Order: sequence, then structure tokens, then C-alpha cells
Amino acid sequence: MRLKQGSFLWYLYLDKLYCLLSVRNVKALLEYFHLLDVHRNNTLNDVLFYHFLHHVTSWNRTQIMIVFNMLDWNAVGEIGFDQFYMLVCILLAQQQNHLEEQFIFRHSRPVFELLDLDGALRIGAENFHMYNFLFNIKKEDLRELYHDFDITGDRQKRLNYKEFKLFTIFTMDKYQERQKAEKNQELPNHPQKSLSMRNRKEYCLSKIVAHKSNL
Amino acid sequence: MDEKPFGASLGSRASDMSSPEDIRNLSDMSSPEDIRSLWTRATLSQPKLNMPRSSVCEDSDVEGSSVSSKSHPWYNQQARGDSDGVWEEWGIREDKDSFKEEDLDKPSALALELSRARSLGSHLEKQDGDSKESKTDTEMTSSESSLNISKHTPHRAYWMEQQNRLPLPLMDLMENEALEILTKALRSYRSGIGWDHFLTKQLQRYIEGLRRRRNKRLRLLMH
Repeated sequence: MRLKQGSFLWYLYLDKLYCLLSVRNVKALLEYFHLLDVHRNNTLNDVLFYHFLHHVTSWNRTQIMIVFNMLDWNAVGEIGFDQFYMLVCILLAQQQNHLEEQFIFRHSRPVFELLDLDGALRIGAENFHMYNFLFNIKKEDLRELYHDFDITGDRQKRLNYKEFKLFTIFTMDKYQERQKAEKNQELPNHPQKSLSMRNRKEYCLSKIVAHKSNL
Repeated sequence: MDEKPFGASLGSRASDMSSPEDIRNLSDMSSPEDIRSLWTRATLSQPKLNMPRSSVCEDSDVEGSSVSSKSHPWYNQQARGDSDGVWEEWGIREDKDSFKEEDLDKPSALALELSRARSLGSHLEKQDGDSKESKTDTEMTSSESSLNISKHTPHRAYWMEQQNRLPLPLMDLMENEALEILTKALRSYRSGIGWDHFLTKQLQRYIEGLRRRRNKRLRLLMH
């Protein structure tokens, strides 16, 4: 998905490290939000939201309404600025050289809560399938995700937050290795391709420990 | 030192955010009522553009940005309270390494202000008298430069925009886009809830208000 060239959102950008907007960008975005807030509720209803996304993205009606239902986490039928800001960050993460991995890594908790539609603190494969156009998670990555990261072994093919976090760390490592390889102009030989399944899990656990020690 | 510092800073901002036509249009404005009339190609040497900051602050709400002023008291208050110092501080504090580009480019604008103030300060020193030794640019400290900035606020238009508003090219872009989106939404309203529904009428009035503001700006541009 690419944002419409020359649209207002097209000019915004995320900080590459934290995947957030700068204060100035937020101010501009707030002004833009209030321009669209026709009825002075500090919200956008479904019609305004649909036309906004239809104007700036190439998504169809179904995809737009999926996003609307995802963001309307209070089920009030309207989107406030907090949700709007989250959406813009997700759109910009897709737009900016595939920052999705970084975005999911940095904001794993809010993303997990967005994907956890029924509040069960578990995400099933169907959740990911529904939103793969948003977070650009490919089918093979999803298969790998549920095969390798369902550590609790509940065999329900649902991930809890820790398993999801593990996945984001692993994806982030892959992304960074890809970046390094692109810098050195070599094709990456991803570690997971040469590792067996058991070694992959051990590799991931070691990454978690390293990550925790860094915190 | 750049002879047209505001042209440079505006150009660096505008090149990020708007088309070249917008930049030319900004510089061609001549109406005294509109902030864009103040964006001319003149340099600091033209005395009529140098206004004391107090008069700039009073006039900061000349052009109607009614959406922002009515609906968002929180950031207007914050902006007006200590606007210059706050925004300048935030501009300098931002991590330049993390951000790829800055739309307003505050640090470089501040650097330009300091260098302009130095040149202005040295010019004023010469005017004071030949008997006094005039300080060279290199001998002026940054504190003296900032004192000169406060005494001789350079460009009225620049400070008016910095008070509590987004740059005009950005507002233009946002309003044009909002107009397109809302016009399509109005069609959906009419087909969904009917022409006579109060929400449809409210949206229609809002769109008309936006169009009037845009036409007024376009008319000023023509003049």
C-alpha cells in the first residue's frame, strides 16, 4: 500500500528509531484531524473515516471498514484522535521503507491489543490474516510464527503477548540483518534458514535473555 | 551570509511541504491584511518591515483560522503563553540525528536570525557614530546577538506565523485535501441520510465555509 502522492500524510514521516511522529507533525496532524471533524465532536464517524482513507490510500471498502472496526476499540462508532494518530503511524510505517517490523517491535503492546479483537489476551492466526494488509505480514511468516513461537505449546494456535513479543524481536533481528546485508551489498544468509527448528527456538530464547539484560 | 534569509528558510520549508507555485505565490502577496502580503523578497535592510514584537503579537490573529482558534484552546494557549521561547526550545532540543528532515527547520532559522542580528548590530553600531569603535561580526557574542534580536525583531511575517499557526502552504494543502474528502462525504450523506438531515446540512455549511475561505485566499493571491 502506498499513500497518495502529494497528499498531506505523504509529507509526514516517522522517526526511524521510535516510529513516532515529531511534535510539529503531531500538531499539523491535529489540525488536519480537526478540519475533518465536521460535527465538532473531536471524532470522525464511519463515513468521514471511509472517505478519508479512500482518498489517501488504495484500500477497498472492506479493508477500510476492517480498520475502522479495529480502531473503534470502544465500539462507539467513531474514531478519536488517539486512534487516528495510531492509524497514521501504521500507514507511515508501511510507507517509509518498510518500517513495519520496527514499528511492531517498538509498539508491540498496542499492536497486540489491536489484534486481540475479543480481548482474550491471545491472537489467533485468523487475526493476522485479517490484518496482513495493514502490517504486511506474509503468509509464510505467519506459518513460521505459529509453528516456532507457540512456546507454551497450548496447540491452540494462539499466541499470548510474550510469544508475540518474541516474534517481534526475531523479526526485528531479521530486519536488521537484512539492512546490514543491503549495506554491504550481499544477499543475506538468514540464520533461521540454516537452523533446525529446535535451534531456532533456542536462538530466540537467547535473544530474549539478551534483550532483557539490555533493558 | 544569505542575502535573502527568509527566502532561504521559506524555500527549505516549502520545498518539503508544497509546490514551487505556492512559494512564488507567497512571495507575490501584497495585501497588508494577509500574512502572505508580508512575505516579500525584501531583506532586513528595508526599515518598514521591522516591527516591534508587541505589535506583531497583537496582530497575530488577523487572518482567520477559525477552526484552530475555536476548537483547540489547549495548544493555542500553550503557543501564546510563551510561544517564542517554547517553540525555539523544542526546536533546538529535537534530536537532529533521528529525524531525516524538518518542515520548519527551527535550528537553522535561529542560526540565520543570529547571523542577521549580527549584521544588523554591526550596521547600527556604525550609525551611532564614527568616534566609537565598531565591533566586528566575529567579536559579537551570541548574547549580544540575541539582545539585538529582541530589540530589532526582523520580520513581522515570520513572527506572526511562528506565534500559533502552521505555515500557510501547509494549511492550503490540508484545506484543499479536506475539501475534496468532505465533498465526497457529502454525497454519501445525501444518499444515506437524505438532503434534509441536520448532519447533511451541517456538513454542507462547513464545506461552504471552507470554500469561502479558500476563494478569499485565491482572490488575495490574484491581487
